[in-house]
Amino acid sequence: MSTEEKPAAAPRSLAEALRGRDDVSLAALLRSRPDLITPVPTDLTQLATRAGTRASVVRALERLDRFAVQTAQALAVAADPATYTELLGLLAGDDGDPAVSAALPHALATLREQALVWGDDTRLRLVRTARELLSPSPQHPSPTGLGPTVREAAAGMSPGRIQEIVSAAGLPSTHDAVSAVAALTELFNDPARMSALLDRAPAESLEVLERLVWGPPYGQVTADPAPRLRWLLDRGLLLPTAPGTVVLPREVALRLRGGRAHRSPEPVPPPVEAAAAHRPQVVDATAAGQAYTALATVEELLKDWHEGGPAVLRAGGLSVRDLKRTAVALDVPEPVAAFWVELAYAAGLLASDGEAEERYAATPAYDEWREQPPAQRWARLASAWLAATRTAGLVGGRDAKDRTLSALGPGLDRSAAPEVRHRVLTLLAGLPEGAAPVTESVLARLSWERPPRGGRGGAGPGTAGGSAAEGGRGASAAAGDGGRGTVGGVRAGDGEEDLRSRLARWALSEAEMLGVTGRGALSAHGRALIGAPAPRKPEAETEPEGPGDKLPVHHRPTPPPAPLSPADRATAAATAARLLAPLLPEPLDHVLLQADLTAVAPGPLERPLADMLSVLADVESKGGATVYRFTPGSVRRALDAGQTAADLHAFLAAHSRTPVPQPLAYLIDDVARRHGHLRVGAASAYVRCDDDAVLNEILADKRAAGLGLRRLAPTVLAAQAGPAGLLEGLRAMGFAPAAESAEGDVLIARADAHRTPPRSAPEPVPDGPPVPDDTLLTAAIRAIRAGDLASTAPRKPGAGDGPDRGELPRTTSAETLATVQAAVLTGASLWIGYVNAEGAASQRVIAPVRVEGGFVTAYDHTADEVRTYPLHRITGVAELSDDES
Amino acid sequence: MNGPLIVQSDKTLLLEVDHEQADDCRRVIAPFAELERAPEHIHTYRVTPLGLWNARAAGHDAEQVVDALVQYSRYPVPHALLVDIADTMDRYGRLSLVKHPAHGLVLTTTDRPVLEEVLRSKRITPLVGARIDPDTVVVHPSERGQIKQVLLKLGWPAEDLAGYVDGEAHAIELREDGWALRPYQKQAVENFWHGGSGVVVLPCGAGKTLVGAGAMAQAKSTTLILVTNTVSARQWKHELVKRTSLTEDEIGEYSGTRKEIRPVTIATYQVLTTRRKGVYPHLELFDSRDWGLILYDEVHLLPAPVFKFTADLQARRRLGLTATLVREDGRESDVFSLIGPKRFDAPWKEIEAQGYIAPADCVEVRVSLTDSERLAYATAEQEEKYRYCSTTATKQKVTEAIVRRFAGQQILVIGQYIDQLDELGEHLNAPVIKGETSNAQREKLFDAFREGEISVLVVSKVANFSIDLPEATVAIQVSGTFGSRQEEAQRLGRVLRPKADGHQAHFYSVVARDTIDQDFAAHRQRFLAEQGYAYRIMDADELLTES
Repeated sequence: MSTEEKPAAAPRSLAEALRGRDDVSLAALLRSRPDLITPVPTDLTQLATRAGTRASVVRALERLDRFAVQTAQALAVAADPATYTELLGLLAGDDGDPAVSAALPHALATLREQALVWGDDTRLRLVRTARELLSPSPQHPSPTGLGPTVREAAAGMSPGRIQEIVSAAGLPSTHDAVSAVAALTELFNDPARMSALLDRAPAESLEVLERLVWGPPYGQVTADPAPRLRWLLDRGLLLPTAPGTVVLPREVALRLRGGRAHRSPEPVPPPVEAAAAHRPQVVDATAAGQAYTALATVEELLKDWHEGGPAVLRAGGLSVRDLKRTAVALDVPEPVAAFWVELAYAAGLLASDGEAEERYAATPAYDEWREQPPAQRWARLASAWLAATRTAGLVGGRDAKDRTLSALGPGLDRSAAPEVRHRVLTLLAGLPEGAAPVTESVLARLSWERPPRGGRGGAGPGTAGGSAAEGGRGASAAAGDGGRGTVGGVRAGDGEEDLRSRLARWALSEAEMLGVTGRGALSAHGRALIGAPAPRKPEAETEPEGPGDKLPVHHRPTPPPAPLSPADRATAAATAARLLAPLLPEPLDHVLLQADLTAVAPGPLERPLADMLSVLADVESKGGATVYRFTPGSVRRALDAGQTAADLHAFLAAHSRTPVPQPLAYLIDDVARRHGHLRVGAASAYVRCDDDAVLNEILADKRAAGLGLRRLAPTVLAAQAGPAGLLEGLRAMGFAPAAESAEGDVLIARADAHRTPPRSAPEPVPDGPPVPDDTLLTAAIRAIRAGDLASTAPRKPGAGDGPDRGELPRTTSAETLATVQAAVLTGASLWIGYVNAEGAASQRVIAPVRVEGGFVTAYDHTADEVRTYPLHRITGVAELSDDES
Repeated sequence: MNGPLIVQSDKTLLLEVDHEQADDCRRVIAPFAELERAPEHIHTYRVTPLGLWNARAAGHDAEQVVDALVQYSRYPVPHALLVDIADTMDRYGRLSLVKHPAHGLVLTTTDRPVLEEVLRSKRITPLVGARIDPDTVVVHPSERGQIKQVLLKLGWPAEDLAGYVDGEAHAIELREDGWALRPYQKQAVENFWHGGSGVVVLPCGAGKTLVGAGAMAQAKSTTLILVTNTVSARQWKHELVKRTSLTEDEIGEYSGTRKEIRPVTIATYQVLTTRRKGVYPHLELFDSRDWGLILYDEVHLLPAPVFKFTADLQARRRLGLTATLVREDGRESDVFSLIGPKRFDAPWKEIEAQGYIAPADCVEVRVSLTDSERLAYATAEQEEKYRYCSTTATKQKVTEAIVRRFAGQQILVIGQYIDQLDELGEHLNAPVIKGETSNAQREKLFDAFREGEISVLVVSKVANFSIDLPEATVAIQVSGTFGSRQEEAQRLGRVLRPKADGHQAHFYSVVARDTIDQDFAAHRQRFLAEQGYAYRIMDADELLTES
């Protein structure tokens, strides 16, 4: 690897800077900005171009932590290129800030790794697009609250006016506008002269500066400015930008701020604070209890939908009424019900059945799931939850078109969700075992790690500040600003919270409901689920900041929490299930029967017992235990299900530790006594005859067996065969039956479990391309390198007309054949132009192995494999110069 | 993790009675959880906001409650439930009613947003006056009860710390000659006095009257006692003369027939709620003296207008006495806000175990209708059905058989339908007490029964409440007021008074099988079954052949 030495010459472009990076650091770049390799760029120049596109830069900036963003913002207001010292000055201020100095190398390394900054410490350059995005302009006020430089602000001014300013500021006059501006800039940048100048300023003028210094730097003036403004305008401390508008030049503001670009740089991530510490055993047990509840709830939900769930709305999803009904059935608030429904959906346990009258129903996977041991069932739910992009928290809200978002409906995918969930849990994992976090501190940390889009640091644009320069009434604006300036832009959006914070809140509450956390703290099985390392000993919670790694561009002090690969996730889930299993309560085989006609199951019951009881009695209360109540109706239900009173007595006696109470025994006997007194059945046809001898004859006849005849009364037979079949059968037996009108025909409608055809669970919808794995990365880098080699390799002049870089070589076919054959002998690599079957031209570097039958077999460096090329498709060849490996 | 308690997601607590820690657990959860059912193995307690606030009023804090649950729970307690409990308890006491030296009654808060929130409510606005400072607002003294009611409905119950007027002093002492307040009665009086106002829940026969007398002896001031009916009023008077230093002349009766106002006055609910031309003419009773204590007997029967009057009496000490807080009309929250939190509660079985009330043997006798009766029942009009099946002739035979079996003991036959009762009275050769029986006649009969001159008495539902029949050992219920649970509890109470000879009490409920009579009976019995009184079921034939 080439980490130890930087290329001797400073890179002149991003592409060159990239070329100077080793594979590991390129891989780091591509991992954090996967959009750069879809599709794989042909060479580093293309990679650099792509890395500079606006969309890609915006995306990259959005994924930076707050301090890295602040660093980039500082670079954007610094000179281009800037030195490390200048940058440090902007961030730490004139007085310096040890925390900033410690954190800056890391932030800079991040920016370099992301290819947002390039050049060494003496010539730091922000990628141009990023600079455009971040530097202040009247349309896009910078979060730093800084205005344009003197040079930018003075660009449209008349030379005469500039002269006046220069002389008012006490500088030697010059007729050259450019040098006048330079002199002014120099004055503003010089602390000593600047303070001397400000010392002379009237107090009211200083007040005006005070109001503008932290931004926004623009103010309104009337045609005839007040003296205090006049004083400032005369000396260029305020410069006019448009009629009626003045701006505080960047240099002045920086001087007034003590050199700082940000009011409050945030070099250190806010720590996640622990709100309470519980014993880890308590946490695990609580989480396990909740995990069990989660399983029970999902089962109950699908049981409720057993015989055909609610209908699918035409636009997709569950109607509000169905959700309400489900919430009532589950005895939870609606948002919680939405969570369970979405969870079951994400785990592939329920889906739409896809029939004409579309309904939701359990999938076949549900039946499989139900047979699994509880811990595995939980692991399946939890891992589905962790990876799902669907967010139940949105249900009930409205989308951009003001349509209600319904559970199971479209529009619930939020690609950031899995990442936020994972990150929240990882943060919890960073706390000592058993510690529950302060929610707000988790949110603050997340918002530091990825500042919300709306409030990109800095003070919000206070409208009152705009007019502050003129009237004396701006005091309140300044006060208001000071009040809010506590933590940069954390609270910039006063109204709705940003999506990531909401996602994080949901993640915390959902983790609790699922039993990933218990009493707010991450449980052992939750820890295993996210693949977090063994619990940390209760220590100080600070991320080790790598000091002094200024030079190498790669190697962050702490590698970002890489999302787990599917295989790792499966292992993690299995580990979690193993940890959880012993904590789940053992199913019981008995209940306590009581004289008030209730049965209490003091814990989860074995499934057959639970199934039977749920038929025989009504569930009255759920939780750790279950309370059942026997009613005549419930007992009748059991009898209807085919049980006899004796069965029921035996069942209760077998599963009760105490004698069956007398009232319960009476209840069963009472209901049973009357049960079945009236009989109802279904027959398709009947035979009626006044002469019972004839009916005897029919019943005795073997040919009547297929008709399903049964004697109901001496003169009536009921048949299972239909009237037509019965008539035919009787005629065949030699009788002459007559048909009666077919009234009273009863049909059986048997309810059956409703299942969808096999369905797969919804795929998470990630934002942008997936993070490439190592194989892909290696391949991509090799391809880019080879492409780069192809386009930049110095070539021997001679053969052909010495094609320009980037153009396909052109040689005659004879020359081509000769060169290729020679290359087979010498084993040299060739650079070829090749047109494929679709007519697309490309350049390749190949090492020919043999030539025969019009085909070249060669090792293709670009594709990293042996390939065969038809000679007639090769447009030309060129030898690679010798100094290239 | 092997405690006796299971916390359910619907906020019920299941307590396994046979567990070794069950008693400890019961003690710690009793302050905040209402005992809902107490059958033989698992007792059910319910955690309600009212219960939690009761606990707060008694000085318990959320931490204790959470600790108790966590310590005794067999399974992990859902975090959400703990949070909810803490939140709910936290709501009590944010607002309190106190006396301000300059402004009189004020509502003050420790949490300004809460005050802002409630002041924004339309129902609060008319009850309050000027805002003295950000945390304090004047309350019209006459709205003290009303505002408490409304605040409770809004979920921010106010603590009433405004104190009480002492009332006109009047010397009252307990005369403990040859008897003494039982420990639990003393405890009840103490709890009440300490809490200021509130409700004491004791089973029938556990001596609620004495708790009342004890409270009066504490207050030593003029007292207004509200009871359900005249008979009950006389009994109170009798008991007070016997147990305290009060003389006949000091106790007045304010009822339909007599309108005496004395230092201790016993009034019936009925006379108070009599309305003439839209006004309640007897309301001046409340203002006729400077009462220091107001006693409500049978709080669960308190009629709605009395709540309204009570709202105006918030400056006086109030003591509610009842056997059950279950109200068929569900106005438990009004009892909480207007009379006060529950101050004492003891489960029936526990007092029975201490030997203060007689153990009872509850039997449901099932009577089969004859075929012709069944046909008649099936064709009866819907509203006639209950009357028909509960007055079936077979019941008479069964009743007679039971009376024969317990010949010589004091037997009460209780029923709903007068015809049936008259018939029974005739067959059993026993006097019948019903609505038209005059009070004098009633008392004469009761006395005779008490003296043992008559051993069988047939009573209609007029005798449901507060009559004192110490020596009844057998009660036979032939019909009831549909499914009223508290009636059943009251009737069982008739036989639960401690017996001089330690006889076992018997409670028979005669029920027609396979009719709505049986459904209603099941409903009525629910309260008692939940209190641990297991009903035995007997076939009428069995009983008839036995005797």
